Order: sequence, then C-alpha cells, then structure tokens
Amino acid sequence: MSAQPVEQTTTPVLELRDLAVHFGGVKAVDGISMKLMPGLIYGIIGPNGSGKSTLIGAITRLTRMTRGELLFDGASYEHVPPSRLAQLRVTRTFQTVRLLPDLNVRANIQIGADARTTSEQKAGRRPSWFERLRGPAASPGVADAIRRTRLEGFESYYPSEMSYGTQRRVEIARALAMDPRLLLLDEPTAGMNQSERAEISGLLRDLREEGLTQLLVEHDVQMMLDTCDYVFAMNSGQLIAEGEPDEVVRNPAVQEAYLGKKWGKDA
Amino acid sequence: MMSFYDSHLVLFQATFTGLILALSIQVPLRMGVFSFAGAGSYGIGAYLAAILVIKQDASAFVAIGAAMLATAVIGLLLGLLIFKLNGLYLAMATVAFDLIIGVIAINGGKTTGGSTGLYGVITDFTMSQLFTITLIALVLVALSEVGRTGRRVDAVRDDPELASSMGISLRRYRLTAFVVSGALGGLAGSMNVLVRSAIGPLDIGFGLIVLGLTMIVVGGSRSWKGAVIGAVIFTWLPDVLTAIGAWQELVYGIVVALAAVFLPRGIYGVLVDLNKGLQRRSRERHDPPPAAAEEAAGDVDPTTGDVRELALNEEAVP
Ligand SMILES: Nc1ncnc2c1ncn2[C@@H]1O[C@H](COP(=O)(O)OP(=O)(O)O)[C@@H](O)[C@H]1O
Ligand SMILES: [Mg+2]
Repeated sequence: MSAQPVEQTTTPVLELRDLAVHFGGVKAVDGISMKLMPGLIYGIIGPNGSGKSTLIGAITRLTRMTRGELLFDGASYEHVPPSRLAQLRVTRTFQTVRLLPDLNVRANIQIGADARTTSEQKAGRRPSWFERLRGPAASPGVADAIRRTRLEGFESYYPSEMSYGTQRRVEIARALAMDPRLLLLDEPTAGMNQSERAEISGLLRDLREEGLTQLLVEHDVQMMLDTCDYVFAMNSGQLIAEGEPDEVVRNPAVQEAYLGKKWGKDA
Repeated sequence: MMSFYDSHLVLFQATFTGLILALSIQVPLRMGVFSFAGAGSYGIGAYLAAILVIKQDASAFVAIGAAMLATAVIGLLLGLLIFKLNGLYLAMATVAFDLIIGVIAINGGKTTGGSTGLYGVITDFTMSQLFTITLIALVLVALSEVGRTGRRVDAVRDDPELASSMGISLRRYRLTAFVVSGALGGLAGSMNVLVRSAIGPLDIGFGLIVLGLTMIVVGGSRSWKGAVIGAVIFTWLPDVLTAIGAWQELVYGIVVALAAVFLPRGIYGVLVDLNKGLQRRSRERHDPPPAAAEEAAGDVDPTTGDVRELALNEEAVP
C-alpha cells in the first residue's frame, strides 16, 4: 500500500498496537494497529457496526480495551484514566450530539476551555480556592472556537432551540476550546446538509494547516476524499485497507464490505 | 403580647435547619449521586452535638464544628465504600445507612439515651447565629452552582462519560458529594438539637428522608433556590393545615403528588422555564437567529455521497 506521507523517523502522535475491544462474544475491535503522524488528517470508513466508534472509545479510554497498547507521543497510556486525557490534550466529539441541556451554547463550549485552563494551572501557579471554584471569568479559547465554527449569535441559545447541524457545530467548538493536539471526530457532519459539510471540511483543513492531528470517522466519501491525507477502512473490527483516500475507496475489499451489508439492494 | 416572630420562632428555626437538611440531599442529587446519607448524618450530628454539650460542656460552636467534621469524615468513608454503586442500589445503601444510625440511637444505652433520647442540651446558641451559619452554608452551596464548578456538576450529572472526556474526575466529584452531604447533614442536625435542646430516635427516622426529599422535589432539585422554596413550604404548610384537622395528611399528600406529577423540576423549574421563554421571545424580537444555520434542519440527507453510491459508480472517484 502507499507509504505514509511523513517519514517514519518522526514519533507518531498516536500509535495503536494490536488494539482489541470485545463485548462478550462480539469482537467490536479486533487487533487494530495504526500510527497517526503529526499534523495530518486521518479518516476511518467502514459500514455501520464495523467498530469505528468503539475504536474511538478505546483511544479516549472511555471504553475498556481487551488487549493491545496505546501510545501518545511514544508514551503508553493504556492505564491512564479517561479524565487525564484532557491533560494530554486529546479530545473527541461523539456520534450522537452530547450537549448539556441546561447550559447555553457559550457554557457548553466553556466546558472544553475549562479542561484547558485546568491543565495549564497544573503546570503553573496554584490558583486560590475561589478561582478554582469559579473558574476564569472568560477564556479566549471560547470566543475563538465560536468564531471558527460560525456560531456567533447563538451564544445564549440552549441546545433544544437549535437545529441538529448547529448542535453538532457546538460539539466541535467545545472540542476546539480545549486546544487539542489530537482531535477525534465521530461522524461530525451527520445530519448536516452539503454546504454545512463543506464548511466543516474547510475548518478541519484549516486546523490541519495549524498542525492539529485529526482522526475523522465519516460516511460521506466525497468529504473523506476532500479532507483526509490517509484513510483506514474497517470491517468487522479489523482493518481491511489503508492508504491514499482514493485508492482505499476504490479497493475491492472496501466496496465488498459496503455492498455485503445488505445495502446493495438496488445495485 | 407576642409578636408573630416570637410566637412562630420554632417554625423559623425549623425552616433554617430544614433547609440545610434539604441541601444535604440536594447537593449529591445535583451531582447525579442518589444518596440520602444526609439524613443519617443529621442524626449523627444531632447526637454528637448533644453528647458534647451534656457530657463535655462544649460550647455551641465546638459542638457544631465537631459534628460537621465527624459527619464529613463518615461521609468520605461511606463514599469510598459505596460510590461505585449506581442509581437505585446507591439509594438503598444510603437509606440502610440512615436506618442503622436510627438503630444505634435506640440501642446506644446511656450514651444516646435509648428510646427517650437526650435532653437538656442547653447552650447560648442564638437565633442570629443560626441564621448566619445557614446563610454562609447557603452561599457556599450557591457558589457551587455557578461558573466552572456549576458547569462541571451539570456535566457529571447529565453525562458522566462526556464529563470524563472533558477532564473531570468523576471519582473526585462523587466523593466530594458524599463529604459535602455529610457535613451539611451534620450541620443541620447539630444546629437543630441546639435550638430544640433535645433529640430522640423519632426525630431522626425515615421521616427525615421524606421531608428533605419532598422539599427539593417540590421546590426544585437543581438549585439552592428550589431548596429554599421547598423548606419554606414544608415547614409552614403543616402549620397552616392544622386548621383543617383530620384532613391535614390527605391534603399534604395530594400537594406532594400533584407537584411530582405536574412539576417534574419543581416550582423553581417552572420559574426557570418561564424565564427562558421570555428570554427567547425578546431575543427573537431584537435579533432573529443568525441566518447561517437554522434552516438546515429541513434538507438533511445523511446518506448523500456515501461509499455505497460510490461502489455503484466508479466515476465518482477522481
Ligand atoms: N457497549 C457495547 N456493548 C455491546 N456491544 C457493543 C457495545 N458498543 C458497541 N457494540 C457492538 O460493537 C460493534 C461495533 O459498534 P460501533 O463501534 O458502534 O460501530 P460503528 O461505529 O462502526 O458503526 C457493533 O456490533 C455493536 O453492536
Ligand atoms: Mg459509530
């Protein structure tokens, strides 16, 4: 398959070695190895149920793994609790929108910035108990995330008052407010129309220019072709292909995986 | 001639201690921890303060401080023991804890005064001290509802998985819930025994859980303001209802049932929703939603451009 676009001497931001997640007899993820090099956008495609979300869950330590190794910047972290990943500045969005219903858009995004300020504080001066309780009055990361996801004007809206696509943008903004080094996106444009998707794709490419490493799960092939540097294809918990995006989507095994999933009715 | 205040002094006192009891159950609930251990801590705090005053001649502040410290530590130990339990199982374990405290009170021999309890708990604790301490506790709880802590408490309750992926340690928040609940319960119990000068097993039974829970369910479980509303209603309502004699319990029961059915977020929740509605209307009048996004809802087609299509259409690949 085609070579990774970056020299192998660089330490990968994320490396998975033989990662497996089994739920009883269900092998949701079964022996996946991958390396994500800094500053690139990686994609994962695969039919529903192929284990993409479970893989992201395992990488973010929210889902218990059955075996394998996880390395961030070359250091293994498979025993680190999920709440510590924010300190490594690994963050994710979820396949289903998960905003807090009682908080408005600004406060929902602020939660991401809170995680950042905590890890920054850990490095420096000890804040007073009052500062720790209240948090900083305003974080620059929030305004920036709102601007980048084009949510200006929505700051005081509650999640239930917005369309699904807009809610998804808030999810992305919350992740960005954390100032991540590795961003994992689980179907971030599901429920968006074409122009919104193009916008998100543009945003992800801008973030790539700034050096952010990303792992993107998406069904929209055109978006994957436009956005990703490198694509992994999964089926039944295993990698069935990887490489340049256009090669992977043309790969017979990948096509077979999709058609095999009883979607080929009108083929 | 007695003023209204003097003749209702007991009710004013009960409002404050009832409020702190309600907070001892509300704080953990707000963090998604279904613990009623606050009621047990109330019993421990009441008995401990009584014993310290009677046997050691302790001052009111020493008695309250010692009671809070003890119940906070017991809360921590209880938390370490059971914080992994969830929902109903956790609730059951904490109710059991409360019942055990009641059993100890009855069977504690001379130390707890058995079924008669302890009396003659006399200190110079004043109404204004009771008021001041209640206010301080209320302000501290209110602070935990705003800013970063408020957001994190919301996250821990509504979506624990999201919370941990946002760098929040669930374990730490849950243990804190037990400690704060313990300290507040101990505070309520110790202040109550100091103003009433007596405590018995009947004062710390299952009824405390019901009282505290009723206050926050009807008043509103998400904010200290709901606890205040509930504490006022359920301290004063029984007094008002004595006028109707035998029907008292029935009316009381109906009020609670109606509130639970029609006001799922309590009276305070209704006020919040009204306010949100007003905000939305004024916002729509002054600045309509930004054009960029709100329209999309209609023309969503999540399957467009799927690999599926591609499989049927080779040309789609550049
Ligand atoms: N918590 C769970 N318990 C049991 N099975 C699960 C759980 N989560 C996912 N699975 C199963 O694992 C497989 C992969 O699911 P998922 O990772 O969500 O796939 P994808 O995101 O690719 O659609 C599916 O068969 C799913 O039913
Ligand atoms: Mg999925």
